[in-house]
Amino acid sequence: MAYRFWRVHAAKANFMGGAIALNPRAATLTASASSRATLESAAVRWTLIAVASLFLALFLFMPLAMVFVSAFSKGIHAYLASFREPDAQAAIRLTLLTAGIAVPLNLLFGVAAAWCIAKFEFIGKSLLITLIDVPFSVSPVVSGLIYVLMFGLQGAMGPWLVAHDIKIIFAVPGIVLATIFVTFPFVARELIPLIQAQGNDEEEAALTLGASGWQTFLRVTLPNVKWGLLYGVIICNARAMGEFGAVSVVSGHVRGLTNTMPLHIEILYNEYQFVPAFAVASLLALLALLTLVIKSFVEWQSKRQLTEDAENWSMETA
Amino acid sequence: MSIEALNITKKFGHFNALQDVSLEIPTGELVALLGPSGSGKTTLLRIIAGLEFADSGNVRFDSKDISDRTARERRVGFVFQHYALFRHMTVFENIAFGLKVRPRATRPSSENIRSKVQELLKLIQLEKLAQRYPSQLSGGQRQRVALARALAVEPSVLLLDEPFGALDAKVRQELRRWLRHLHDEMHITSVFVTHDQEEALELANRVVVMNEGRIEQIGAPDEVYNHPATPFVYNFLGNVNLFHGRIDDGKAYIHERETGHVVYVRPHLLDIDRRPNGGDHFRAKIKHINSAGPLVKVEAVTEWGALVHVEMSQDRFRNLHLLKDEAVFVIPKDVKVFEAREPQVKAV
Repeated sequence: MAYRFWRVHAAKANFMGGAIALNPRAATLTASASSRATLESAAVRWTLIAVASLFLALFLFMPLAMVFVSAFSKGIHAYLASFREPDAQAAIRLTLLTAGIAVPLNLLFGVAAAWCIAKFEFIGKSLLITLIDVPFSVSPVVSGLIYVLMFGLQGAMGPWLVAHDIKIIFAVPGIVLATIFVTFPFVARELIPLIQAQGNDEEEAALTLGASGWQTFLRVTLPNVKWGLLYGVIICNARAMGEFGAVSVVSGHVRGLTNTMPLHIEILYNEYQFVPAFAVASLLALLALLTLVIKSFVEWQSKRQLTEDAENWSMETA
Repeated sequence: MSIEALNITKKFGHFNALQDVSLEIPTGELVALLGPSGSGKTTLLRIIAGLEFADSGNVRFDSKDISDRTARERRVGFVFQHYALFRHMTVFENIAFGLKVRPRATRPSSENIRSKVQELLKLIQLEKLAQRYPSQLSGGQRQRVALARALAVEPSVLLLDEPFGALDAKVRQELRRWLRHLHDEMHITSVFVTHDQEEALELANRVVVMNEGRIEQIGAPDEVYNHPATPFVYNFLGNVNLFHGRIDDGKAYIHERETGHVVYVRPHLLDIDRRPNGGDHFRAKIKHINSAGPLVKVEAVTEWGALVHVEMSQDRFRNLHLLKDEAVFVIPKDVKVFEAREPQVKAV
C-alpha cells in the first residue's frame, strides 16, 4: 500500500514539475498569481520608474541636498557659528517650547476625541468629526488671523486682555495657541479609525472582569493603539516644529523673543545671510529626516501588529 | 446563585429585540438559550451580564434586584463569542487580569495570583502555553483561555455567548464535553447562547427556545424535543415533514378537505414498507437515497406530488433492499398536529 501511495505521489510531483518547467519564473516569483497577471510589460515599467525617479530627484532630493550644500558652503566653522548666535538659540528654544506644549495637549485632546467618537453614539458626532478636520482645510494664515481677531488689540477679547495686562498676540502664548490649532487633527485622525476597527469586545471583557473605566483604558485600549498613537504624535510634532503660516501672523517677528525656527530662517534669508539661514534650515531638515526614520519604524511595527491581528481574526473565523 | 429576568423588554431603534421576556434559572443549572439569529438570545444574555440595559423589566440575582448595577458590579463571568482575549497580553496575563485590577484592599498578593493562574492553567490543560500570546493559539485553546480568565474572578454566574460558534466540528465536540464536565464539578450557574439545537440538547439541563424576541418554550432537552409547545419549536429542534389536512373525530387526515391543520412528522418517525400492513399509510415513490452515516436518509415523492423525508436504520434499509424510483408505502409512527398557524421555518 505504502509503495502504491508513493507511486501516485511521484506521478503527481512529475506533473507539477512539468508545469513548473513551462514557466520557470513562476516558481521564483513570490508575488501572487493575480499580481503577476496585472504586471505591465518591461518597457512600461521602466518608463514609469524612470519618470518617478526623475521627479523625486528634481523636486525632492536635490533641493534637500542644496540645503546642506548651502549651509556648508563657507565651511564647518561658519555653519557652527550660525548656531552660536543668541537669536538662533532663542528661536530653537522657542520652537522646542511650542512643540513641547502643543504636542502633549493635542495628544490628550486627540485620545479623548478619538475615544469618544469611536466608542460612543451621540448627537452631533458627525459635526465633531467635521470640526476636527477644520485645521486641515483652513489655510494656516487664516488660522493665525482667527487668533488675532480673538485676542488682538482690536479683537473681541482685546480690551479685556489689555486691562488685565495679558499679552497673547505678538507673544509666546499666541504662537503656542496657533500651533495647537494647526496640529489639532493629527492624533485624533490617526486614532479614530484604529479604535473603531478594534471594536468593544476587549473593553467589555475588561469590565466584566471588574476593571474600572480608567483601568480598562490604560491596560486594554491604550496598549492596543500604541503604535498608531506614536505615529500621530510624530507627525503632530513635525508639523508643530515646522509650522510657518499661522505662527507668522501671530508672532510679530520680535527677534530673540517671538521667532520660531521657520520664522528665524525667513528673516535671515531676507537679509541675504544665506549660510546661517540654510544652517538653521538644515537643522529642521535633519529633524524631518529623523521623523521619517522613526515614522518608518513605527509603521513597520504597527503593520506587524495589524498582520498579527488579521491572522488572529482569520484563525478565529476559520 | 439563581438568576431571574422579569418582564424584560428591549428595543434597538424600531427593532424589538426582546418583548416581555421572563425567565428563572435556579442555582447550579446549565441553561441554553436557543434560537435563530435575531431571536434576542444574545441580547438577553448581555442584559443579564449588565453589558446591555433593558428598557423595562428587572434582573435579579438570588432574588436581589441588580437591574441598575453595571457589568463591573455584577461580577459575572462572561465568555465572548470571539473570545475577546487581550491581544497584547500573554495567556498568563490574560487570566491574571481580573485579579490584578482589583482594588488594593482586596487584591491577592502576586504570589497568590500566580498560584491561582497556575491552577486554572492546569484546569484548561494549557500549562505549557502560559507565555504565549493569543495570536499564537488555536481557536479551541483561545476559547479555553477565555473561560479560565472568566473563572479567575470566581464569578457566581457564568455566561457564554455562542461559546463554540467559531470552532470546527471536532473541537466543538471536545469542548462541549469538557464544559459539561467542568459544570458537573463546579456547579456554577451557567447560561450559554447557541443557535445549534444539537449543542443545546446535548449540553444543557434546560433549554430556553427563543424566537423573535419571545420565549417559545422552556424545558428539559427531552421535554422540548419530544413535546414541543409550538410549531416553531418542533421545526427548530430537528428536521420535520409538514402535511396539511384536517382533524375529524380525533383523527388526522392529510391531503383531504384541508381545514388549516398542519401535521408534523419527524423523518425518523416515518417508516417505509412494500405493504401497507393494515395501518395508516400513504403511497410514495423513492427519489433519492443517502446511506452515508448512522441513518439512511430517503427522499420520496408522495402520490399528490409533495416531497417527504424518511430516516431509517442501516439494518432496516438492508432488509428492505430499497431501490430508486420504487413505489412504496409510507407509514407514520407518531405525528404532532398544530392548528392553523403557519410555521415560520420551512420544512427540511
